[in-house]
Amino acid sequence: MSDETQDATAQGAAPSEGVAEKEGFAGYELDTAREPVVVGATALFVLVFPYVFARMPVVSGILQGYQGLATLMLIWGIFALGFDLLLGYTGLLSFGHAAFWGGSAYAAGVFSQFAAESLGFEAGPVIIVVVGTLFAVLLAWGLGFLSLRRGGIYFSILTLAFAQMMFYLSSAPLSGITGGENGFTAVTVGHLFGVFELESELPSVLGTLMGTWLYAFVGLMTVVSVAVAYRILNSPYGMVFRAIRENEQRTEFVGLNVWRYKLMSFVISGAFAGVAGSLFTIHGNYVPLQSLYWTESGEIVIMAVLGGAGSLFGPMLGAGIYLYFENIVSGVRDLTVPFTDIVLLQGFGEYWHLLLGVLFVLVVWFFPRGIWGLFQDLRNRVTGGDSAAETGGER
Amino acid sequence: MALLETDGLVKEFGGLVATDDVNLTVNEDERVSIIGPNGAGKSTLINLITRRLDPTEGDIRFKGESIVKMEPHEVVQRGVSKSFQTASIFPDLTVRENAEIAALAAERGSFGFDFLTHRRKLHGVHEVAADTLDAVGLLDRAETPAEDLPYGDKRRLEIGIALASEPDLLLMDEPTAGMSPEETRSTVDLIEEVKERMGLTFVLVEHDMEIVFSISDRIVVLNRGRVIAEGTPDEIRGDEQVQEAYLGGVEL
Amino acid sequence: MSLLADVLTVLLNGLQQGAIFALLAVGLSIILGTLKFVNFAHGALYVVGTYTGLLVAHEIALTSGKLQSWGFTSLGLDLGFFAALVVVPLFVFVVGLGMERFVARPFYDRPDTDQILVTFGLAIVVQELFRILFGSNSLPFDQPAWAAGPIALPVVGNFSQWRLYVIAITAVLVLVVYALVEYTDFGLVVRAGTRDAEMVRLLGIKITRPYIVVFGIGAALAGVAGVVGGPLNVVNPTVGTDILVPAFLTVVIGGVGSIVGAVIGGVIFGLTTATLVAVAPAWSQIGLYAIAAVILLTRPQGILGNEEVAP
Repeated sequence: MSDETQDATAQGAAPSEGVAEKEGFAGYELDTAREPVVVGATALFVLVFPYVFARMPVVSGILQGYQGLATLMLIWGIFALGFDLLLGYTGLLSFGHAAFWGGSAYAAGVFSQFAAESLGFEAGPVIIVVVGTLFAVLLAWGLGFLSLRRGGIYFSILTLAFAQMMFYLSSAPLSGITGGENGFTAVTVGHLFGVFELESELPSVLGTLMGTWLYAFVGLMTVVSVAVAYRILNSPYGMVFRAIRENEQRTEFVGLNVWRYKLMSFVISGAFAGVAGSLFTIHGNYVPLQSLYWTESGEIVIMAVLGGAGSLFGPMLGAGIYLYFENIVSGVRDLTVPFTDIVLLQGFGEYWHLLLGVLFVLVVWFFPRGIWGLFQDLRNRVTGGDSAAETGGER
Repeated sequence: MALLETDGLVKEFGGLVATDDVNLTVNEDERVSIIGPNGAGKSTLINLITRRLDPTEGDIRFKGESIVKMEPHEVVQRGVSKSFQTASIFPDLTVRENAEIAALAAERGSFGFDFLTHRRKLHGVHEVAADTLDAVGLLDRAETPAEDLPYGDKRRLEIGIALASEPDLLLMDEPTAGMSPEETRSTVDLIEEVKERMGLTFVLVEHDMEIVFSISDRIVVLNRGRVIAEGTPDEIRGDEQVQEAYLGGVEL
Repeated sequence: MSLLADVLTVLLNGLQQGAIFALLAVGLSIILGTLKFVNFAHGALYVVGTYTGLLVAHEIALTSGKLQSWGFTSLGLDLGFFAALVVVPLFVFVVGLGMERFVARPFYDRPDTDQILVTFGLAIVVQELFRILFGSNSLPFDQPAWAAGPIALPVVGNFSQWRLYVIAITAVLVLVVYALVEYTDFGLVVRAGTRDAEMVRLLGIKITRPYIVVFGIGAALAGVAGVVGGPLNVVNPTVGTDILVPAFLTVVIGGVGSIVGAVIGGVIFGLTTATLVAVAPAWSQIGLYAIAAVILLTRPQGILGNEEVAP
């Protein structure tokens, strides 16, 4: 990647192998082997998820899933994945990530309109994602530069304040561009690679498994996002982020520029939010004003913590659970004893948000490693322990 | 050659003068200890040198270059490393990763854009980390989470982190504080060994006189922020002013 | 209408809005300053206050929510506003003590972020409970008959009576709390806790724990804000989340732990918002955040904060 890397490789390659054997550093070979496994498993999941969730006999009937929700879950999953780099690994709690999610969603939408009306072409999904993400990165750089002057709760409050400022900016002064309270409706998305209509069905077995081209595109972005995130966690950045979370002062005093690493963590998480926000616009053909409100920042916090901050897949699981409650559980009319007609609770769906709130409080209180952490503990109990070697790279 | 010089260094907290016109010189390959009663301003002096505190007046030069306007990490990058009074480690990371964080800063600088480089490729970093852990005797525990180490080993790791930054000057703030006698002995051995092996210049702040007199080339005595005496262990042992002000007349 | 009258009207409107901000911020600030506890559920206490106040002062017709489906078509004691002003602070005081005991205390020794997370979760739970019981719709909160309608002021002309009462009630309450903190033994510990964080750290948090009363007082002030603000704001479950952000910013720009700072912060925000509403309504909400950002970046510890408290 950089000259330094090559230097290090050139100088260190031969002797360091010796070191690894002689001195007993075993971990890295495992790391290397694990990367394709993680990416491959993600790809496999993405491939079969819509089928299982929305179309598979019996299972989809129980889950009540549908294609559009599967897509939305992956989009929020990308957002949560990036947010976790900041919260779970660097230990910074931002309450302003709606700015990057909603901001990139607007940027993507406005760009698509500009392309269609002024440049005379329908912007394809790839370029829309690029533009939305670039916007989020620049915004994150600016807001991060300002917010990171303060630590702890003040950082949380500053991010919150700046994001709210974005919300009110697009609600009134910029309503000529953003559509104000009504949200942005003039989204025009062209075909994928200029060829494939996003809403059309994929050919043959892919169509059965994944459904539409839109899902395939979002799925591909998900796999890429997981691969990039996993690589970041196994890069020097991953080490430095965790070091900052563990002991910020010590990190500074070994000679690392903590401030710049924090800023990078903020910008990288903003970039993931940018990818997700742009995909959200492409998926819904619409940008609600709500996407910038601070409760949206709160949702991503809940998803990440509920699923398990500080793990690779936990926050994505959290996103799935949250959206499942919001879209499926909320529609359940009465809670019945399974396979009978005995009603336990009428109007059960109304309680979805309350249930999530209670679940969230319980997780914060008793299981700081989230639902994913619970799974890991369970697995350790069953297999009799040592998952450290398996999860070492992204512990 | 002078490695570190302080020039008329003053630090006031409100009305309290914690460091009062200190002119200190540490030469290359020298082992200097700073002693003094509680509240003499030893830790303040160390914190001024590492840029944790801003001096009220005066200058600090390292290798002839003024460092008073620098960020702490810049000072470390220039070769001043510090081991903390308490075990300041990364508890959730493994022992190996603890050393690697410091080695990373030494090998690759204070910042880089290499977020897509896999860490298995950081051979230089692995090597420095392994060497350091070997030096502090923790290599066989490399894969242990740091928080699971006994207290003495945590302090050794703390010193290891400071060493892995490949410093030219190592500042040690009471490296044996809170240790059992055995742990103290093994830490002293460690310091002696490091002294031999790496030929480091170091500044030691310590309460334990036995340690101070056994491993220092020169001793600086602080009282109420001022340097009241300076010299070889033998000179300090015989200095009446020191015995009066600091040792309370006790014969050493 | 003269320019002077316009300016004075804006000033009074600003003071009134600032009063609500200050009521919330004073409580939040002393809790944060003394107990070092970050309470994202402070808005929920406002919600509890505003609903309780409504039900004590008036009898309202319910059109949605579980209570209505359980057969309550109307609900409330209809005891009038003074009753609400007495009952609500007492009630929310007790709620605050409960919150300290069962939510805050287990989290004193945990990181700030955990405190934010758990109280944020609690705020959602409270909001959803009210939504389920009372429905999502806003409920009407009438001004008390004796304070409804405008009053003719010299120069200013007609001005809402109720807004004047809000300013007056706030002023009295804040003065009482200020006197309590400044001139009593109880206040001595509160001040020790906020001004010398280092000292309290050395003494250990246990010293401050008996003074959980601070939590109760802070909560009660939020409850009162709900009562006096109810007729001016809407009464619905999400009003707590809407009001939390400005309240927190007020604390931070005023300086954590400083009562006077919280009042100054509130007044600055109130005046900014009222001025922008009169001059450039589209920007009315933005001014507050812009000012907060500028103050925090130029004076990170807040207007009256001392360096030591701010990390």
